[in-house]
Amino acid sequence: MFRQMLYTQLKWSLIALAALVVAGFAIPVLSVQQAGAVASAGSNAGPLLVAVQSWGVAYPVLAGVVGLIAALTAWTHDHRGNHVYALSLPVARWRYALLRFVAGASLVIPVAVAVWIGGLAAGSASTIPSGLHAYPTALALRFVLTTLVAYAAFFAIASGTSRTAAWVLGVIGAAVVIQVVLSAAGVHAPFLPDAVGRLYTWPGPFQLFTGRWMLINV
Amino acid sequence: MSNAIETHGLRYRAGKTFEIRDLALNVPTGSVYGFLGPNGSGKTTTIRLLLGMLRRVSGTIRVLDGSVPRDIVHVLARVGYVPERPHLYPSLTVAEALRFHGAFFSRWDGHWADELRSGFGLDQDAKLSRLSKGEMGKLLVLVALAQRPDLLILDEPTDGLDPVVRRDVLAAVLEYVSRARATVFISSHLVHELERICDWVGVMDRGQLVAELPMQTFKNGIKRLRVRNAPADVGETPFVVLAREPGNGIAGESWVVRGWDASMHQYFTAIGAAVHAVDDLDLEDGFVELLRASRAPTA
Repeated sequence: MFRQMLYTQLKWSLIALAALVVAGFAIPVLSVQQAGAVASAGSNAGPLLVAVQSWGVAYPVLAGVVGLIAALTAWTHDHRGNHVYALSLPVARWRYALLRFVAGASLVIPVAVAVWIGGLAAGSASTIPSGLHAYPTALALRFVLTTLVAYAAFFAIASGTSRTAAWVLGVIGAAVVIQVVLSAAGVHAPFLPDAVGRLYTWPGPFQLFTGRWMLINV
Repeated sequence: MSNAIETHGLRYRAGKTFEIRDLALNVPTGSVYGFLGPNGSGKTTTIRLLLGMLRRVSGTIRVLDGSVPRDIVHVLARVGYVPERPHLYPSLTVAEALRFHGAFFSRWDGHWADELRSGFGLDQDAKLSRLSKGEMGKLLVLVALAQRPDLLILDEPTDGLDPVVRRDVLAAVLEYVSRARATVFISSHLVHELERICDWVGVMDRGQLVAELPMQTFKNGIKRLRVRNAPADVGETPFVVLAREPGNGIAGESWVVRGWDASMHQYFTAIGAAVHAVDDLDLEDGFVELLRASRAPTA
């Protein structure tokens, strides 16, 4: 049963997955290539770290895109058929959702492996100044966790009906409007920045996205 | 005789305008039960309620001795379902769709599925999105049959299919039913199609079950009578008057009745009237008259 779920998930996302695997391999390689150019221009480790860090934003972006695509492909085909097929199969609904979730989550693996191999290749192909080290495994593990967080969030949203999505967007839109109105009225009540801050700082679920994503560090 | 499907006091509401009210279905085990009704009468909604896809407001549903929705997983494992619109994933090929579907059913007969596929002339490498309407209709019936179900629920399975494909599909269903002694619950608005294959019939209209009876009774029991000299007030009749239409002096009135038999001539003699012709109505006419009677305003 799971094998078939995984098969459909792979089939539906094969082209996107191939592109994401290439991106996952390319980001660490390109970041170190650019850093290598900077390092050879001067022997200082500082510019190299800055160059590596400038590529750091690409990892959480890639993690978000992988999570989004995996979540969308998990549900799109069932949504199109108004879930009639899924509901006619002799599987408890929670189990069906779990099978879809796990099948979608397994798409993270090839991209994470590409990031890891890209990191290993980049680390071994370049000369790293003394005192600095490459951390491809740690980077790949962080990438896996971040992608899973993004996937879980998008999966939950994508599993709902379009009415649910409209409600979520409506609530967010209303919050933004209220915040703007309060600010315009000179009322100091930054509830929206506070809420966003809570999500992106520990123990918020999206804390993994923030901070420095460094393939090469001290 | 036990029932494969039983509902009592089933009620469901969708929006402000549509409602299924006090639905009491009794589908005998082993029967081919035709579920008739005009478009929008609640046939598909009823089927979705039976399969646990919609949540009832009140009432009970039992399918194959399981309570729905409590035992829905066990029930669905024994039910072959052909929905009104194709539900299989269109991006898969025929072979992939069969593999995917078969993985969920413990009684799936892959060998027979292959036989049916060749018999229906379906290319296993063809993508579902490229199949013609007829090919898709055959595939839907194929996957429902290859599950080796105890109950087949077919929602307008031949709607829009050409006569040749329609015949192939129905022949495959009937062959399976006769071999496996399964029950078939088939909804349609194509009255003549059901007339040939069903032994029970239920008629839905505006969310209510208007009639449920053996097909033979339905076919034989609905007659058009030509009646002369009938008084305006005829009192209690030994049959159900579905329609009473005035005629000219020579032809007399036209009555459409249900539950007629020849001994009831005496009733007309007693009220001073006379029946000078009794015509059989075919199923479609009977169906139309039944709907007309159910929609007539009550006094």
